[in-house]
Amino acid sequence: MKKSPLALLLTFGVLQTSMSAFAATAPLDLVTPVSDYKIYVTENVDTLAADTQKFTDAIKKGDLATAKKLFPTTRLSYESIEPIAELFSDLDASIDSREDDHENGVKAEDFTGFHRLEYALFSQNTTKDQGVFADKLLADVKELQSRIAGITFPPEKVVGGAAALMEEVAATKLSGEEDRYSHTDLYDFQGNVDGSKKIVDLFKPQLEQSDKAFVAKVEKNFATVDKILAKYKTKDGGYETYDKVKEQDRKALAGPVNTLAEDLSQMRGKLGLN
Amino acid sequence: MKDSDSKNAPISTDRRRVLMGLGAAGAAVAGASLTGNAFAATAPAQVTEAPKSEKTQDHNAFHGLHQNGIVNPRPAAGMMVSFDVLAQDREDLERMFRTLNERITFLMTGGAVPQVDPKLPPLDSGILGPVVTPDNLTITVSVGDSLFDDRFGLESVKPKRLQRMVGFPNDALEADCCHGDLSIQFCSNAPDSNIHALRDIVKNLPDLLLVRWKQEGTVPAQAPLKPGQAPESARNFLGFRDGSANPDSNNQKTMNELVWVQPGSDEPAWAANGSYQAVRIIRNFVERWDRTPLQEQEAIFGRVKTTGAPMDGKTEADVPNYHNDPAGKITKLDSHIRLANPRTAETQRNLILRRPFNYSNGVNKNGQLDMGLLFICYQADLEKGFITVQTRLNGEPLEEYLKPIGGGYFFTLPGVVDSNDFIGRSLLAASAHTTKTA
Repeated sequence: MKKSPLALLLTFGVLQTSMSAFAATAPLDLVTPVSDYKIYVTENVDTLAADTQKFTDAIKKGDLATAKKLFPTTRLSYESIEPIAELFSDLDASIDSREDDHENGVKAEDFTGFHRLEYALFSQNTTKDQGVFADKLLADVKELQSRIAGITFPPEKVVGGAAALMEEVAATKLSGEEDRYSHTDLYDFQGNVDGSKKIVDLFKPQLEQSDKAFVAKVEKNFATVDKILAKYKTKDGGYETYDKVKEQDRKALAGPVNTLAEDLSQMRGKLGLN
Repeated sequence: MKDSDSKNAPISTDRRRVLMGLGAAGAAVAGASLTGNAFAATAPAQVTEAPKSEKTQDHNAFHGLHQNGIVNPRPAAGMMVSFDVLAQDREDLERMFRTLNERITFLMTGGAVPQVDPKLPPLDSGILGPVVTPDNLTITVSVGDSLFDDRFGLESVKPKRLQRMVGFPNDALEADCCHGDLSIQFCSNAPDSNIHALRDIVKNLPDLLLVRWKQEGTVPAQAPLKPGQAPESARNFLGFRDGSANPDSNNQKTMNELVWVQPGSDEPAWAANGSYQAVRIIRNFVERWDRTPLQEQEAIFGRVKTTGAPMDGKTEADVPNYHNDPAGKITKLDSHIRLANPRTAETQRNLILRRPFNYSNGVNKNGQLDMGLLFICYQADLEKGFITVQTRLNGEPLEEYLKPIGGGYFFTLPGVVDSNDFIGRSLLAASAHTTKTA
């Protein structure tokens, strides 16, 4: 049941006229990037489902080493599509909540998902009794996959997602509290940044029409972040653990990350979206 | 809120008029003690009505030989924020100082915030409304030892006595609350005005400054002085008056000797009219203090708790006579005020200008209150000033009730003299020729 992207845009009121300084970008101009973004998200959630299958299989087989190895890469595609994944707050809570989201911490009954498994694998060093959490994670991810297939993407959520991802980085990645047991935060960091940059790339032609300097500044800051992240790439294509990231690099990341969050918060307005 | 306000506005005005009439009548019946301005005061306000202040338009001139926020009387609210400087090169550093200068000029003056397209985030947090009120705000910028490392070519122009704070024996420094490349002291009539200013700076310099730590504090207000009554210092969270023996901040000569770095001193020329800022976050063990006998509290401080007078005096302003008490029978030799200021000719040079605030943060893991003193002091010579005084205090009996956990040493930049000048300009100019790469 595929809705046409134009119908979708009409539904979400993009055609409303506005008295503001930024003329709304002609809706047809948003059709292509929004539908391209849906393709990007669909591909990522498919990857997430396939990777989660392997990850949870390893846990259920009791293969601790493989499960540990697959943990960070499996999460990467979730982190890159968070603006859409977070539209389903029930699933986001069961897939990606952290210990400190629960009053009773790790003992909370509703503490499930990636970080519950991370706690077992990396803090308790075991796969024992984790089958139930593995099954739940896989079921939740499959549910996410099917729900994403069924929705139309609100353009303002898509465009706003670029800033939202950088807010994620600023709030939980710079501090290293996202993956507190495995310290594999740099994978998530990269996922957030890639997801944000993808959105900027898709809307670049429209943005450049209104403000070329804005695009140049944003791209420069993305490049700075990538350059620093690249220093911590390992030979197998992964990342060093976050505790290896030097204090001066953490600070050097904070500048462009906070500036991206600040600048990208203007992206919806610049495209005339509410 | 908006909806209900507009709906209720005329009604509530009418109702207030009625109630005010009743209030005045009630006052007349109650009679005697109510004076003329009680009329306005008897108008019953709604629970959500904002408290009133006549001081929101008070402002301090930004331009001057010295920065503000040092010899001015402390207002009720203070906040010290330490930052890491994220600038990558000197060009960035200059942009940081110029942007800070621009923001401080606006914040200390106040005015309307420019409106932008409502599809964009607003330029201002809006917490003071569409027209920013200065509210007696001062913003004082100082630089830390670490700004003079190899990043910006400032090594050769570092103030001679600027150094990284080293823990004293009773300290339990927490790394997250110490040091910093730059400190900004915000002081104003209300915590919200300080928070507004901080959020403005954070929003406008995201690529240049990163908050490292922050501590807010307050000064308790007192009733206005009665005619002929001597000024009294505010009390700290140990219940004692704090600042009794401070040097006279209205005496320019004294301030030049003790607080301001003088032209022609052994400090770099650019530093003239600046000052050294020592900041200490000093946790007080208040439960234990409150369980200590009064005479012991007074012996530990060396002052009478109620009046603030020295042990041999009547009023707070009285000067203790240690010469007549060499054995410490009246004022103990290890009492806080006697160690801090022995009142000898030689120790006059160690006087510092204290400007502290009381802080209260929450609760420690042990269920005890997390509160104490945000100690801030200024001096022309950090070593002769704070470091010497604190060294004399090492081992004092008061330590049992104190635990310094954070802070740092900074150099408060010279003032911005006019609109062609900007904060930090003299520092950048002095080091321009020493820079290897532009």
